[in-house]
Amino acid sequence: MSTARALEPPFPIKLANGAFIVFWLVLAAFSLFWVLVMSFKLPVDALSSNPLTVIFGPSTQNDVGGLGLIDIALGVVFFIAGYKLVESQTGRLARMLSLFGQIWLGWLLAAAVVLLAILVLASVVLPAVAGAFDWLLGGMPGLGWLVEPFIGATVQHYVAVWYDNAFYRNFINSMIVTGGVVTISLTIGTLAGYALARTGSNLAFWLLITALIFRALPHSVLVTGYLPPFIQSREILMPLWESPFLGWFFRLFSSEPPTLYGQPLAVIAVLVSINQPFTIWMLRSFFQNIPSELDEAARVDGCSHFEAFRRVIMPVMWPGVITTGLFSFLLAYNDYLVCALLLDAQSQTMVPAITQYFNRETTSSDTLEAIAAAVSITAPLFLLVMVFQRQIVSGLTAGAVKG
Amino acid sequence: MLKKLLLATAITTIGTGAALGECAFENDVQIKTLTAGFEAWKAVTDAMAECGNVQAELDQEFRTKQPAAFAANPALYQIGGVANGTIVPLLNDGTIRPLNDLVEQYGQDLGPNQLITIDGDIMAIAMMVNAQHLMYREDILTELGIDVPTTYDEMLAAAATIQEAGVIEYPLGATMATGWNLGEDFVNLYLGYGGEFTDENKMPTVNNEAGVKTLETMKALTEYMDPEFLVSDSTYLQKQFQQGDVAMANFWASRTGAMDDANESSVVGKVKMAAAPAAVEGGPPATTIWWDGMVIARNISDEQAEAAMKLIAEGLDEEMVKANNNAAVWLIDGFEVTPLAEGTIASMQGSAPAYPASTEMGLMHTALGNNVADFLIGSETAEQTLADVEAEYLTTAREAGLVK
Amino acid sequence: MKRRTFFIFVGPSLALMLFFIALPLISVFVQSFYNSEGVFDAATVEECTPGFPNPICRSTTRMRPMLDENGNPLTESRFVGLQNYQTLLQPMAVAEAFSAAGRGLGGILNISFYKALRFTITFTLITLPLVIILGLAIAVTVNNASRAIRGPVIFVSLLPFIITPVIGALSIRWLFIGDGIMTNFLEWLLQHNVAMFAQGWTIEILMLFFRVWHVAPFAFVIFYAALQTVNQDALDAAVVDGASRFERFRFVIIPHLMPLIIFVSLIHLMDSYRVFEEIIGFSSQAHRISLQWLTFDLLTPDDAGNRAISRAAASSMLTMIGIVILLIPLVMRTWRDHRRA
Repeated sequence: MSTARALEPPFPIKLANGAFIVFWLVLAAFSLFWVLVMSFKLPVDALSSNPLTVIFGPSTQNDVGGLGLIDIALGVVFFIAGYKLVESQTGRLARMLSLFGQIWLGWLLAAAVVLLAILVLASVVLPAVAGAFDWLLGGMPGLGWLVEPFIGATVQHYVAVWYDNAFYRNFINSMIVTGGVVTISLTIGTLAGYALARTGSNLAFWLLITALIFRALPHSVLVTGYLPPFIQSREILMPLWESPFLGWFFRLFSSEPPTLYGQPLAVIAVLVSINQPFTIWMLRSFFQNIPSELDEAARVDGCSHFEAFRRVIMPVMWPGVITTGLFSFLLAYNDYLVCALLLDAQSQTMVPAITQYFNRETTSSDTLEAIAAAVSITAPLFLLVMVFQRQIVSGLTAGAVKG
Repeated sequence: MLKKLLLATAITTIGTGAALGECAFENDVQIKTLTAGFEAWKAVTDAMAECGNVQAELDQEFRTKQPAAFAANPALYQIGGVANGTIVPLLNDGTIRPLNDLVEQYGQDLGPNQLITIDGDIMAIAMMVNAQHLMYREDILTELGIDVPTTYDEMLAAAATIQEAGVIEYPLGATMATGWNLGEDFVNLYLGYGGEFTDENKMPTVNNEAGVKTLETMKALTEYMDPEFLVSDSTYLQKQFQQGDVAMANFWASRTGAMDDANESSVVGKVKMAAAPAAVEGGPPATTIWWDGMVIARNISDEQAEAAMKLIAEGLDEEMVKANNNAAVWLIDGFEVTPLAEGTIASMQGSAPAYPASTEMGLMHTALGNNVADFLIGSETAEQTLADVEAEYLTTAREAGLVK
Repeated sequence: MKRRTFFIFVGPSLALMLFFIALPLISVFVQSFYNSEGVFDAATVEECTPGFPNPICRSTTRMRPMLDENGNPLTESRFVGLQNYQTLLQPMAVAEAFSAAGRGLGGILNISFYKALRFTITFTLITLPLVIILGLAIAVTVNNASRAIRGPVIFVSLLPFIITPVIGALSIRWLFIGDGIMTNFLEWLLQHNVAMFAQGWTIEILMLFFRVWHVAPFAFVIFYAALQTVNQDALDAAVVDGASRFERFRFVIIPHLMPLIIFVSLIHLMDSYRVFEEIIGFSSQAHRISLQWLTFDLLTPDDAGNRAISRAAASSMLTMIGIVILLIPLVMRTWRDHRRA
């Protein structure tokens, strides 16, 4: 008790502590906040060099309309309440939704439910409530200033991006690539990580070291190694399809060899491979923390390694897998180099697609659309942190943190 | 607010309805195009897409993708957008097909200026010309009593006058972003000074008086420019013009339309076009003439090639030009010469040379784009910079097998 | 675990890594000793291009690549030994620079490879301590803050880390380029004209700032997670012994965090050694380039459509050597741990 009091910092330190946190928060969020604000303004306001014009958007308010005090207050309340709810309750929701005892299914469903709820809230409920307030308060004398719009805002850039330019296609492509990478990466990564954690052989050691060097490789080196064979893959693979012995086997899949360039599946394979070194290192340290007595006991009971893995290890490995999965998700979702070089326009993911906005930007509304697209790309990541924040911290405490 | 929104939607719908022309035929072969991404390409690919089954990929980085994508068998795209520089790798690799038969069959409406011919083979269909020429703020020049500059010396003098008068802090602009843009600026001026890039053995010859003069003129120009000129690409310069931050620049004809775009520009009607200034008194305008056009891949079926040619003829018809007259200086019948096109035409009439596209020029252009900045930021002397350019050119030319 | 079972478990992962990482790497290694050249012949051709008002036709001498019977360009692959490395490293120029009449270090920093090496190394070494210190500072302050605000603070802190790097870099670039609002703010502060993208060192500062901003949250989360497991008894004992706040931090908390500081440092070393996104995001190629960007640039086709594949291969091999040097201490430490286990 006495030590706890002694540990209680004196006031100046508390003050400095608080000041530093505020400073860091501003530093961390300012540029993102600014981009968010810009994306809701007309070009004239958004590209103005006067910060107040950017924030209040007078021309936007004039031409399109804007938000009143009450709208903003409602938005803030909704956001804070939503954040609290998601941050604290998603874990419980995930456990509730764990059908067939599969916790990963629970998390997947929980994330989907949260996404859906937020979409409905933001696009239907919030405007309706705000509209009701506007109507109610606008009618009351003396309270009109509450609803009087004073900050210009427009969603036209988002409409242009998602509807006119069909950004949802890129979103779907991103989801295919990201989903594929996370699933495959974790499936083969857990197997390898488990085996590496349970062997002390020199072979395993050198395997890990090689993986480490692979982890450090610049991606551009690898990617350009793939480019020519991917484009020429039909010609390169032709002998396999035409060979008298194995040809029938390959022809089962398709009548002629595929051109790998532009195939999401090829990109998934590349990203999974690039991501494997990190995945197996991370999962290995998680598995090392699971006492090996557990599966040894199962082995004594007559289980094979696979059965021991399935019955004993799988139920306890999820915190580690979720954390590792998040890192895989970030890698695949944020990837620029691989997707830009190996996918064509029809299967392009969101991040390279946005640089094409910049490449063709010739008008200021193109710039603003690029900014709106950038915010759109960030939104799912935002949600991801909200849902998984606790898992990130606790997962790191449990596993990788031990080095 | 709702009313405004509805009104806006209605206007857009009517707008697209009017722009949507009828395609003469129904295209039932899947065709993919890979072109650059500026306004004229938007117009042409939109016109082609009306026929159905066309997937257009517009990408300013198309240059890096095109050679490999066309070398694949089957080619990943059937139609490619090229300019006189970017056609060279495709010609070298032999990945595009001669179009003589197809033009005879479907190209009745194409003018002689549109047929890019090499040894009698039609290799590309041109649609527009493009050049960097002088754009200037007529109001400022008139107010200060300056004549429209015809040489770079006059341009520098005019810039000094504008700066002294305090009208604009940095009166000059340029597309001097490191890389291709910067190389292009050097090429324009160097040809204006009468320089030659290589000798008959393809050995480099830029380290000479003309080269030094070119660098010095470029440096003199930068004194009147926004100090961030090394990131100034076409879009950056266009914005500077639109916001009234520059008074004069040698700028692409394809960007003229943007100056009079009332939604973006605060200088509508004030920017006028003239021939590119000459490097030396009485010389030709120091600029190069570019054309943009389309090619058809070799590694595709004849059926696809036929459909591609029909689409090209449809995309480059009079109707498209009439609807997008100001998007480019079109080579197509029906193009109406407006004041916006005067700069290009004056430059061409002043016998500005065509861009000397070739394999060695491609290597030289890259070497220039990589090295000229060293002189402009003052980390090397002019001679050193040019020696570096020649060294880099030699390295790449040897690797390519061009020189021994 | 039997070797056979081990291989069944590791198999899929190993196969992917072999096929998509090791194989390209080996081909890159081999490629770095070869050069493939086109075969050209000079020919006079008649060309017609648009003119005003009529097309201009003229004959010129062109170097034309010879094509084989399938219509593909002929190439000759030739073993060139260390020539590609020589082109990159330019040993002659280095010797000259350090000779009596040379310009010393300044002389070699104009050569792309050394320019890239210089930037990559300083970038790595400067961001490393900043990331560790900032990460630690945030972790400690957040740990001292009241529980109620920790959740939201962690949430906001994680944003710079999870955001797509290209977009993060662009969001900072938009604040500073041209008349961006931060540039205006700086101008007002310094009463002086500021152009952040006009000279190398200001761009370099922006790039350093971006990387620290982007990675510090990662360090923070790891350190914060570890602070939750600090041995409370040791802290209590330190208080009883009359250790000051700073001494408790120095002698109890830092040793506890040490393995993680090493872990974060290593991850950061590996990642910042291959710095690339910043060059694209801040368009710094005129002033600052990195080793990975150099490889990328060599691989990008030039205006004649050629990729300098051989030189790119050599430059990636040189980059690899750097990585191996970087990793030696870690490998040795892991080896010792492994032997002990």
